[in-house]
Amino acid sequence: MSSCLPQPPAESGGINITLYGFSIMKESMEKAIYPGFAAQWKRDHNQDVRFTSSFAGSETITNQILQGVSADVAILSIDRDAMRLKQSGFVTSDWHALPHNGIVNKTPFVILVKQGNPKGIHDFADLAKPGVKVVHPDPVSSGGAQWSILAIYGSELVKSEKQSGEPDRARALQMLQAIWRNVISTPGSAREARTQFETGFGDALVTYELEGMLMKEAGKPVEIVTPQATIFSEHPVVVIDRNVTAAKRPVVDAFIQYLWSDEAQKAFVKFHFYSVTNNAFNEENKAFGHIERPFTIDYFGGWSKAYPEVIEQVFKNQVQKTK
Amino acid sequence: MRHVRGFDVARPLSIGMLVFMMLPLVFLPLASIFIFGTSNGLGNFWAALTAPEAIFALKLSMATSFWATLFNVLFGLFAAYVLSRYNFLGRNALIVTISLPTAIPTAVAGFALLLLWGPYGTLGRFLRPQGIQIMFTAGAIILANIFVTFPLAFGVIKPVFDTMSRSLEEASATIGATRVQTFWHVTLPSLRGAIVSGALLTFARAVGEFGSTILVSGNLAGRTQTAPLYIFAKFNEGQIEAANAIAIVLALFSFLIFSVLFFARDWLDVD
Repeated sequence: MSSCLPQPPAESGGINITLYGFSIMKESMEKAIYPGFAAQWKRDHNQDVRFTSSFAGSETITNQILQGVSADVAILSIDRDAMRLKQSGFVTSDWHALPHNGIVNKTPFVILVKQGNPKGIHDFADLAKPGVKVVHPDPVSSGGAQWSILAIYGSELVKSEKQSGEPDRARALQMLQAIWRNVISTPGSAREARTQFETGFGDALVTYELEGMLMKEAGKPVEIVTPQATIFSEHPVVVIDRNVTAAKRPVVDAFIQYLWSDEAQKAFVKFHFYSVTNNAFNEENKAFGHIERPFTIDYFGGWSKAYPEVIEQVFKNQVQKTK
Repeated sequence: MRHVRGFDVARPLSIGMLVFMMLPLVFLPLASIFIFGTSNGLGNFWAALTAPEAIFALKLSMATSFWATLFNVLFGLFAAYVLSRYNFLGRNALIVTISLPTAIPTAVAGFALLLLWGPYGTLGRFLRPQGIQIMFTAGAIILANIFVTFPLAFGVIKPVFDTMSRSLEEASATIGATRVQTFWHVTLPSLRGAIVSGALLTFARAVGEFGSTILVSGNLAGRTQTAPLYIFAKFNEGQIEAANAIAIVLALFSFLIFSVLFFARDWLDVD
């Protein structure tokens, strides 16, 4: 029967790597990383490497892998998803032992508004103003949505800590609640949220900085508002050990290492991610906004604390239920 | 009746009303696909249409829908024959069960297939050691298509069986025809219309299937991505023009199928 179905491009002697990536990885992977690595592997081993990939919300692709799709590699938005894959036995190697804790690149969270900023939005607090319509991806399926919640909540903690020496959790919760009263839609991934915003939906979108930069590059009428304090989202890569055959192992491992090569890191910067290996690369991208008080997941004590304490305790139990 | 003769005001009024009601519900949404899909010029439209992954997605949709249709028409014929000829305990329960997939959300259909055939599913876990994996292949898409279109062909064929005059079959038998000959030369020709329209309905529905395929296919571009999944992926990626190009093809395709159904009715409905 399979002969009566359309066949994917012939696999004559080459190797195929199947990669599942969270939504915003698409451009940099397809346009720079895949061809870059394929050329390097061809040069060193005289063998063709092809990539097959699927891009969707981080939680969505994690669930697909848990259901058994034949992914070799996954690039996830959040470390928590890598943990889930580990707990279910799909990932047996320790990605934290990879260079830079397994993080391949990072990008800060910003606010996108319409050209001219008609609603006068200058920081997260302005998203809570009455009449502001916010598009925010769904934290159930999107890693970006969880970063966004951490960005908003954390920025208020950082600011209150600076003012009084003590992070004010009640104030941070209050702001998150006020902003979520203004959320008009929760698309499945950061990319889906961007498409919705692009089609004229809503006044503001909280998302990865590179999404805004890609939109501006494409000539869309948007402006990027860089909050005073915001989080840098850090994106881990994992090998789905259960699916990788022994024959494929060397090429998959080489691909993983390639992600931290100067070539790959520079390519990420070209597509508006921050490099994790070399800050000098980041100077190259003049479009990056200036963030006064950046913070990372470490501010919350890592994902193992941030998820239960902020996403579950604060967001799911207090913000979503009282919305 | 007041308006028996002369100009009947109700006529243009009601026709106008009908078209007006359909405007925002059907016509304009369809029109916007066409307008948006071609807004960047026909060159871009053509480029979007001939992208290798788009062509693959369309081919995959056609092929998987074809196999699902073939199966469901044969099954529908068989089921309609058995259920209209024989009366037995549990007959009604079977009829209801066959019709069930129409009412089940397609996402549930996909989920159910995963739970059964997935690498960690009820049956799938026994196949996995044998190196057999059905989910996340074209086979899974066919299974999903079969599930969601299960009752369509049956639903069209069975009423024809029910109302078919048995005197012809009996006459055929009295002149010495075997059961197979009777079925082939007498029963089947009178089912021609029902089979064709059942097949077209099934095919049209299968080509447009989304909810179950997104769960069972793995959604890999150029491998297991059908046309509706391609549209969804392109929309999510913000490439609305590319999404629209394929949407136009699917819309025209359904238009064609239903036109065939409509205009060929006379030819098909021969007793």
